[in-house]
Amino acid sequence: MINRLLIDRLSLHIDSLQEGFELLSRATNLKELGRHFFHFLRGNLTTSEISIWYKPADGHPWELLYGKQVHPEDYLTDVVKTFELKSFGGRHPRVAVVQPLADGSALGVVLGKRLGGAAYSTLDKFALQIFLQLFATAYQSHLHLRKQKELVFSLNHRLVQLNSLIDTGIELTALKKDVSPAALALERAAAATNASRGKFTKKINGKVTESLVFPEGAVFRPPKDKGYHIKSRFTFRGATYEFNLYLKESRSGTVPFEETDQLLLGALARQVRAVVENQFYHEQELAQQRIERELAVAASIQQRILPAALPVIEGYDLFGINIPTKMVGGDYYDAVPLENGSFLLVVADVAGKGIPAALLVSSFQAYLSAYASTICSLTDLAHKLNRSIFEASTAERYITAVVGIFDPATARLETINAGHNPPYLLRRDGSVQQLTAGGIAFGMLDMDFPYETDCVTLEPGERVLFYTDGITEAMDGHGNLYDSAGTLADIMRRNTPASAEQFVRDLVADVVAFTASAPQSDDITALYLFRK
Amino acid sequence: MEQEFALTSEVRNDCLIISTSGYVNNRGGESIAREFDRHFAQGVRQVIINLEKSRVVNSIGMSFLIEIIERLEETGGKLVFTNLDPGVEKMLSIMGLFNYAGKEKSVDDALKALSS
Repeated sequence: MINRLLIDRLSLHIDSLQEGFELLSRATNLKELGRHFFHFLRGNLTTSEISIWYKPADGHPWELLYGKQVHPEDYLTDVVKTFELKSFGGRHPRVAVVQPLADGSALGVVLGKRLGGAAYSTLDKFALQIFLQLFATAYQSHLHLRKQKELVFSLNHRLVQLNSLIDTGIELTALKKDVSPAALALERAAAATNASRGKFTKKINGKVTESLVFPEGAVFRPPKDKGYHIKSRFTFRGATYEFNLYLKESRSGTVPFEETDQLLLGALARQVRAVVENQFYHEQELAQQRIERELAVAASIQQRILPAALPVIEGYDLFGINIPTKMVGGDYYDAVPLENGSFLLVVADVAGKGIPAALLVSSFQAYLSAYASTICSLTDLAHKLNRSIFEASTAERYITAVVGIFDPATARLETINAGHNPPYLLRRDGSVQQLTAGGIAFGMLDMDFPYETDCVTLEPGERVLFYTDGITEAMDGHGNLYDSAGTLADIMRRNTPASAEQFVRDLVADVVAFTASAPQSDDITALYLFRK
Repeated sequence: MEQEFALTSEVRNDCLIISTSGYVNNRGGESIAREFDRHFAQGVRQVIINLEKSRVVNSIGMSFLIEIIERLEETGGKLVFTNLDPGVEKMLSIMGLFNYAGKEKSVDDALKALSS
């Protein structure tokens, strides 16, 4: 009869074991596992005085998972050493047991009074041991599940990192001008590596010119421990860009950064470098386009003010040329007939290039035309031109020029050299002299400095050359100047063709041959007059 | 630049609405979980997390959100995210959160969705 009862009870326990395992397996966390185990024990051992305890590891206190609050130390302290079932006598008998678990943690169970006050039998204690094994198995399954979840989470996290890297690259290239690429990259790097803090600095010559902290306004002291700080740096055109990340987060506090984090930060920093470089080259391209547009306008202004043809002077031959560079300069030449039969000869060069220079030449030409009809003297003209150019230009802009009045009837040439390259005069005896008398460049100072004049008479066969520094300072590929050894004076002496045009073309050809493949650095302008 | 984390909360129609601002990291995630726990213990089972002012979420912050979803799932509750920045939405999507939680454009839309 007793055996029959024993078999029935064991059979009942076995049935409930199956249900119990299914119930425990459904638990999604430890607390739930404890709660399910509580209900399972209550149903099988007919007691509601149950405490389910959990100790994460040796040295940790017991944590109540579910059930009645008791002092776990009173019941579980001794048992934990032996992992054996222990009974406590007294008015309210209790049973305590500790079950070691797979990961070094332990489960503690304290059972109190049963319904009806019956004592725990050996069979109950035996069944309890089996239930504990059941819990241990379910716990192991729970650990596997947790590990699986962690693995999935970790894989997804890697996906997020990869995605962040790709998306950041796309966003950086499409970034609006008012958004700092460094700020975006710093945010993304911090989030992708779980960094608690981040900092970006841009330094030029050691001086910080841009600084960002993530999260904005965060105040922190950078950690000194190795591994808790990673950085990536690059230099572009003298500026150093540095990204720093601090304190990698985990659910249990801060942990050292991993190798992947360093790789990720480096990759994001490289993306910022690409953006910085692209921005720079794009701005350069825009500036270049702007310059080219300006140059086109300047070239058109300059071409409009240069004479289409020079006047023919009986008994003389006159020829002028202007070969502009790509970077339009401010050279000008002309021969303006005056009412008294004389001619106003001029060669000028504006300091600077581009539209401002072209506009100033245009003004110079306008003043010259205006004053030409009312010239009292060449010095008077020079003073007027100086004052007008001074008023019309900025401090760094002025005009060097040689202006001369040539009277074909007397062959008299009077010149003023306003800070310009002195014209060469070839005498019949083969000597070459320079016309240096003059004063300051036009527009440089408005202080009534005097202008002096050279006055010469051209005898038959004598020649005079006005020119700009585009000829004398033409440079070969080694940096040598064309006129450094007096080449121009030699040419004046050696080359005396029958036409002014021939002389000028020979001169230009010689300059071009000298400079060879070196690009033309300045406008080439010349005005040549000789008395037949 | 994203700021330090802060949150506000209110209960409307038995639904807890947590509105965050700043970096949802370990500290931010803990704050959200703590606020959730407080109301969960009082029986709240419908939760809206408004991330309008949070553009940056890291995976530690994310793990707290997953825990909230799990706890609500156990009790038949529901979580809805609202006002998501596209970057955050993509991250939540990759992490698989929208298999268990909803997303709506605004808090009002979320309240409607939860009441239907």
